[in-house]
Amino acid sequence: MKNVLCFTDVTLTYHTTRGETTAAEGLSFEVGEGEFLAVIGPSGCGKTTLLSLAAGLLAPSSGEVTRAGRCGYMLQKDELFPWRTIEKNIFLPLEIRREKEKNARSGAVELAKKYGLGDFLQSYPAELSGGMRQRAALIRTLAADPDILLLDEPFSALDYQTRLNVCEDVSKILRGEHKTALLITHDISEAISLADRVLVLTARPAKVAYSHTLDFGDVVSPLKRREMPQFSGWFELLWRELNA
Amino acid sequence: MKHSYSAEHARFLRKRRRKLALVWALRIGLLALFLGVWELVTALGWADPFLMSSPSRIAKTLASLYADGSLFYHIGVTLLETLIGFAISTVVGCAVALLLWWSETLKRVLEPYIVVLNALPKIALGPLIIIWFGTGAEAIVFMTVLVGVIVATMHMLTAFLSTDKNKLLLLRSMGASKLQILQKLVVPSSLASFISMLKVNVGMAWIGSIMGEYIVSRAGIGYLIVYGGQVFKLDLVMTATFLLCLLAAGMYFAVVLLEKILVKNEEN
Ligand SMILES: Nc1ncnc2c1ncn2[C@@H]1O[C@H](COP(=O)(O)OP(=O)(O)O)[C@@H](O)[C@H]1O
Ligand SMILES: [Mg+2]
Repeated sequence: MKNVLCFTDVTLTYHTTRGETTAAEGLSFEVGEGEFLAVIGPSGCGKTTLLSLAAGLLAPSSGEVTRAGRCGYMLQKDELFPWRTIEKNIFLPLEIRREKEKNARSGAVELAKKYGLGDFLQSYPAELSGGMRQRAALIRTLAADPDILLLDEPFSALDYQTRLNVCEDVSKILRGEHKTALLITHDISEAISLADRVLVLTARPAKVAYSHTLDFGDVVSPLKRREMPQFSGWFELLWRELNA
Repeated sequence: MKHSYSAEHARFLRKRRRKLALVWALRIGLLALFLGVWELVTALGWADPFLMSSPSRIAKTLASLYADGSLFYHIGVTLLETLIGFAISTVVGCAVALLLWWSETLKRVLEPYIVVLNALPKIALGPLIIIWFGTGAEAIVFMTVLVGVIVATMHMLTAFLSTDKNKLLLLRSMGASKLQILQKLVVPSSLASFISMLKVNVGMAWIGSIMGEYIVSRAGIGYLIVYGGQVFKLDLVMTATFLLCLLAAGMYFAVVLLEKILVKNEEN
């Protein structure tokens, strides 16, 4: 399996006038093509930092981050631009890359239609529900055809019901499009229900404490996984490791 | 759509409309009461109309200004000075704010100067302005710009700098250049602040132009006020003040109208 993203012994230290904070130290892992990797860790341990490093928004203080291809970043809130229609929001990454060709745009529109946003293309974000907005944000991320998706707690701003639905959506869409994804979360059950593999980070400075390949076979639906017998076993294990 | 309202909703709407009508009636009533009392007090001789003027005397003064053709001349002069000063200070203020947003270093270098310029009472520069620009409209426009430009700059810079951090992060993760970030995010998200800046700056422009006319006046509303004061024609002073109220309100509502047009797309 080809690696899309590779961290080798990465350390990152933030410098501010108040002092320095080491957010990651000796961090090593890789994400293979087509893999869905979830990273869990206690709050403030350096998860967002890890994603910024992966996206190339931060340069490591030492060590190396290698990336094959483009990243698509998805944040906690949808961050749709309220003055743009859903369609214009989805075109944003294409505009940034100055992609003029009709192909990329019609591809993005196709994607939106395929995943139930067809009727909302000309609507403004304020007219959509929270779940729909997050779905639009995902389509926007996919419109740029990234080689790896970086998801920073993308469900944590949603209420529980919506969260389960959006989780299901995201899983379906990412698996359907055969995307490689790196999901950051502090929610253990989310990680288990979505990922192929789970990394557990230590408290700050973050480094990899455990890595588990999950055994759900072909079952990728988060709701189905939650009903499977091994789910609670994984939950207990990860919960213990996280609180060690 | 109207037929689809429930009876309760119709009652709600009617109540709202009645409330609005009441507010307007009270507003107009208050003005009428003020003018009426003013007129009465002076007509009955309880107050000296020579010192207090009165609504009827203001009307007469307006009519005579209109008759000798100077009414619209003075209005035109002041309005033009104000509008030009307003436009220049708005454009320059936005441009400087953009520059300061673009360069963090430049911003930090210029910050103390801007603070001092903002705190400086611009009227103190009166003599300099007369020497540099003479006593014509240029001097007044310059004064107007001076009064407005710093406020416009600071207002817009604050707006630019308060751009949502996460949206900035999102654009940077897409590989956006600084210019693209400016075009796609910083400028569009500052629209509301731009409009509130315009509202503030309209007021600033009137302060500037009238102050300018006080210093170097030969024509305009400010000139009428100064001249009226000097020759003790309080009717003229009151009339000019009244005109000023009308013009300032008119310009403010023009901005409000602009806001309605610009913001319509976004709110939905
Ligand atoms: N830009 C920054 N400058 C200084 N310190 C930072 C910065 N960003 C994050 N940190 C610090 O680094 C640590 C890890 O932050 P973060 O990666 O956001 O954690 P998480 O996403 O896991 O909650 C925190 O202690 C935080 O205070
Ligand atoms: Mg975080």
